[in-house]
Amino acid sequence: MKENKQPVDPFTEATKNSSALFKLYIIVFIIVIISELIGIKKFAVGPGSVVLLPMLYAVIIGLVITPGILGKYIQSLKSLVSEEVMEIAGIMVMLSLLPLGVKYGTLVGPNIVKVVQAGPAFLLQELGNLGTVFIGLPLAMALGLKREAIGATVSICREPTLGVIGERYGINSPEGTGVLGTYMMGTVLGTIFFGLLGSFAVNTGIHPYALAMASGMGSGSMMTAASSSLAETVPAMRDTILAYAATSNMLTGVTGLYSVVFLALPLSNWLYKKWEPIFDRREKAKGSVNDVK
Amino acid sequence: MLSRTINQSKMMLVIGMMILVGQKISHLITQKPLVPLGQSFLGILTVLVICVVALKLKEAFPKVKFPAFAWATMIALILSMPFMPTSKFFLQYTGSVDFLATTTPILAFAGISVGTKLTQLKKISWKLVIIAMVVFIGTYFGSALVAQFVLKMQGII
Repeated sequence: MKENKQPVDPFTEATKNSSALFKLYIIVFIIVIISELIGIKKFAVGPGSVVLLPMLYAVIIGLVITPGILGKYIQSLKSLVSEEVMEIAGIMVMLSLLPLGVKYGTLVGPNIVKVVQAGPAFLLQELGNLGTVFIGLPLAMALGLKREAIGATVSICREPTLGVIGERYGINSPEGTGVLGTYMMGTVLGTIFFGLLGSFAVNTGIHPYALAMASGMGSGSMMTAASSSLAETVPAMRDTILAYAATSNMLTGVTGLYSVVFLALPLSNWLYKKWEPIFDRREKAKGSVNDVK
Repeated sequence: MLSRTINQSKMMLVIGMMILVGQKISHLITQKPLVPLGQSFLGILTVLVICVVALKLKEAFPKVKFPAFAWATMIALILSMPFMPTSKFFLQYTGSVDFLATTTPILAFAGISVGTKLTQLKKISWKLVIIAMVVFIGTYFGSALVAQFVLKMQGII
């Protein structure tokens, strides 16, 4: 079979619409300036503290000014943040991640000996990502989800998982709906969630180095949110935390896909079959109570 | 090919400017000693050159499925290893670019780009919202607990 369709090149698309691109630059410049002016804020919450970083304000401001939220009420905002502007923003995310990638490299490089020494921990903690199945799947089934439960909990559902589930079940299948749900939630709330969890998790007593490794989940932005808020909370360990997080994230980028295909997906399917009768019975029991009423 | 590279370089330059401006503001309000402008310019230029090289490497090896982000990290990692002759000047230049300053533009773009998905998101039931949160917690603490255990065994922590 011959590929006739030339894939649309995102860069040419973005540069073609130069007025939208220019608008986007101005908007983001303003967001960056506002976010940096607010600056880092530390709050004491219960026994620990939560660190709020400029990036957290940036994602919230960016989200709020879109037509779906504030744009609905403010007409000029709606015309400023147009559909095209939002499309191009998606491409710019990829590009703007690159300087961060370089910075992460400069954190891992000087610490390369330390990182190699911790090698076994890096490899084994990848298995911890299966935690999504053990905790998420029963909860999803208890909430009454059927096959959607498998897609939603098979992993943290970044792009590679989306691809695997989409290929195997089709993205319009129940499994596809589940995987899309977690994917979307991750895109919208992931950085906010991990930005807060990253600084708060220190209070659990787990060592910051272990938390740093856990921050590498295969998503550049979530890893950044989790690890930089963690690093701000424990500044003395800053360099090692960031180096561990970046390494773990790279590793997940490599192993994540295989772990979903060969471990997480078979495991979820097996557990689903095992648990289905239990949850079905509960459902039926509830159903019959309703019938009596 | 060339015009594409020029376009990418221009976009990267704008991002570089955002990082520099953000960093300047953050240094001003936290009253950190200011990095001389020339030095931070050289720093951000070094970073941007690697970014463009990473983009080109990704395009040159499409079959490897290695994202440009990972290429960028890899190049910087190699250049900054202690036994590399490049490490000293490379770290000196890139050191004038703040780690946190590079994160703010990314998330500003990310926030805006999510706007296209808001309508789709409204269709997702509240159950999937709760499940997603539990999935986040599951992967994070799952990995953290294993790492804690192994690092303890190794005597690193």
